[in-house]
Amino acid sequence: MNHRKAKESFYIFLCYFSAVLATLALFGILGKIALEALPSLNLEFLLTPENEAEGFGGGIANAIVGTILLSLLSTIFASPIAVGTAIYMQRYAKNARLVKSFSFIIDVLSGTPSIVLGIFGLMFLVYYMRFITGGFSLISGAIALTILILPVIERSAEEAIKSVPAELEDASYALGATKWETISKITLPNATTGIVTGIVLSIGRAAEESAVVVLTAGYSQFMPEFGVAAKESMLFGIRISPLQNLVASLPITVYHSFEFPSMVSPSEGFAAAFVLIVIVMVINAITRLIVWRRRIG
Amino acid sequence: MNDKRRLLQIINLAFISSAVFATFFGSNAQESNKRALYNRSANLIFFVCTIVVAFIVIFFIGFIFYTALPVFQSQGLINFIITDEWNYGKNIYGIRTFIAGTVIMTVVTLIMAVPISIFTAIFLSEIASPRLASTIRPFIELLVGIPSVVYGIFGLFVLENIFQNHIEPVLASLLGFIPIFVDVNPQSGLGVLLASTVLAIMVFPTITTISENAIRSVSVENRHASLSLGANRWETIRNVVLPAASSGIMTAVVLGMMRAMGETMAIVMLLGNSKTIPSSVMGPGYAMTSKILNDIGHHFSEEGPRAALFGIAAVLFAIEIGFVAVSRYLGGRK
Repeated sequence: MNHRKAKESFYIFLCYFSAVLATLALFGILGKIALEALPSLNLEFLLTPENEAEGFGGGIANAIVGTILLSLLSTIFASPIAVGTAIYMQRYAKNARLVKSFSFIIDVLSGTPSIVLGIFGLMFLVYYMRFITGGFSLISGAIALTILILPVIERSAEEAIKSVPAELEDASYALGATKWETISKITLPNATTGIVTGIVLSIGRAAEESAVVVLTAGYSQFMPEFGVAAKESMLFGIRISPLQNLVASLPITVYHSFEFPSMVSPSEGFAAAFVLIVIVMVINAITRLIVWRRRIG
Repeated sequence: MNDKRRLLQIINLAFISSAVFATFFGSNAQESNKRALYNRSANLIFFVCTIVVAFIVIFFIGFIFYTALPVFQSQGLINFIITDEWNYGKNIYGIRTFIAGTVIMTVVTLIMAVPISIFTAIFLSEIASPRLASTIRPFIELLVGIPSVVYGIFGLFVLENIFQNHIEPVLASLLGFIPIFVDVNPQSGLGVLLASTVLAIMVFPTITTISENAIRSVSVENRHASLSLGANRWETIRNVVLPAASSGIMTAVVLGMMRAMGETMAIVMLLGNSKTIPSSVMGPGYAMTSKILNDIGHHFSEEGPRAALFGIAAVLFAIEIGFVAVSRYLGGRK
């Protein structure tokens, strides 16, 4: 009897211990990153693009703008296709085997190691399609990230559509509505929060990705600029900025502190990391807020 | 039957586009015509979305394997996997070292991450009060939001010193009589242990969250039955809850394993990138993902080396596809 009790307390202690260890590790990591970032973290560092700061490093405004452009653009590309696919899979597709194999394909895509997607982007988008994408560029990076976040949005949209009660749709059909009217007026409005949650999550997923971005978007010390310039080697003989230009991003700035320690000091790497974490956290907080509001409403 | 319908849909495209023209620019379109038209166009648009996604994925998978094909032809698939020499000049490629690096690193990661994750999952679902659990859960989900490259520099600039000066000497002096715990390179903290520790932190939230869901979905009646028979809390968890949740927990472990194997940025910084099979858990190694990332930039325009690097990616991809199949089988998804 005593032995059983001792065993129980031992394992329950282990559970407490694991949970405490995990929480401590989280605070340790976040605290240490913030502490290391502190010396470099000031308004000037955040608002100066790298080319305007003295020497190497010294500013991450270009990277912040680049990260925002990359993640928004890829989300804009991915959302319509992914949501359309989710609607088709949930409400139109009838062949069970086809649905099953398609869902396998989506699982494969979401389990793809990012480096595999990265070299695909490097070969296909940057190398073979360079007369359209301009080689390493915002558009190459955004397209590669689009493939990365497609399954994220598709999965959450499918879940959201699946959770719409069948009674509502049946009622709509009973009133003589067509399939499109039912989907646009009943299904989608009821699934909006779920779909939006998936889209917002995918912005964060695109913002934190590094292996894909380093192989497709490259890096630039300059702020993205807007405009069109003549360039003979490209399609139609023009280069559209910033789409076909190199673009910086925060994960790459962080990576540079490993790759070129003489150019970007560890502290600056940590400061970029800190900003990146804050951006991702804000995005996650927004997702939480959406979910929370749905629960209340 | 279905295929025929689909074919008809595509043929309809011409009809619909002319009808769209007629609707918006024609003079007196009937309301009911318009509704039917919208209905058909919506159908078509969603169908096209699906085709586009399917095309992208199949093209992507095909591209990776097609680009890798030359190296499988020149080296032979088996030879490519089991030999060691990697030489761009002589055009000889074998990836056993990299496979061994990835596998050893993944195994050590799982040994560290799985027990802690599962105990935390048990804590959150069975032991902690709902309020405490819902306070801790967001923090664990926060760990997911930390980008892998950040874990990389954290391991490199913060943990490496600690590992080199404190953890590795202690571990080596305590357990050094076992060959796999010899500190082969005391001047450096880089190696399997450091990489796996950081990976363990990265896969921890994945395994914990999914296992917690699996444990939660075990019905309350089962627990009550076990408790009413006189089993204590731990015995109930061990003999009733965990077996019932085992397929979910296995899925969680497989997904965590996939994340560890596919990780690139942190591993490039932490595994040491030395072309040897790690002989001890503190020795350096070279993972498949790091080899691709380090070399692709210099070699993507040369036929042979490019095929070899894509060959690594193809092998990695094939392993991941296998694990996706396993996790779907475990999850019993449709």
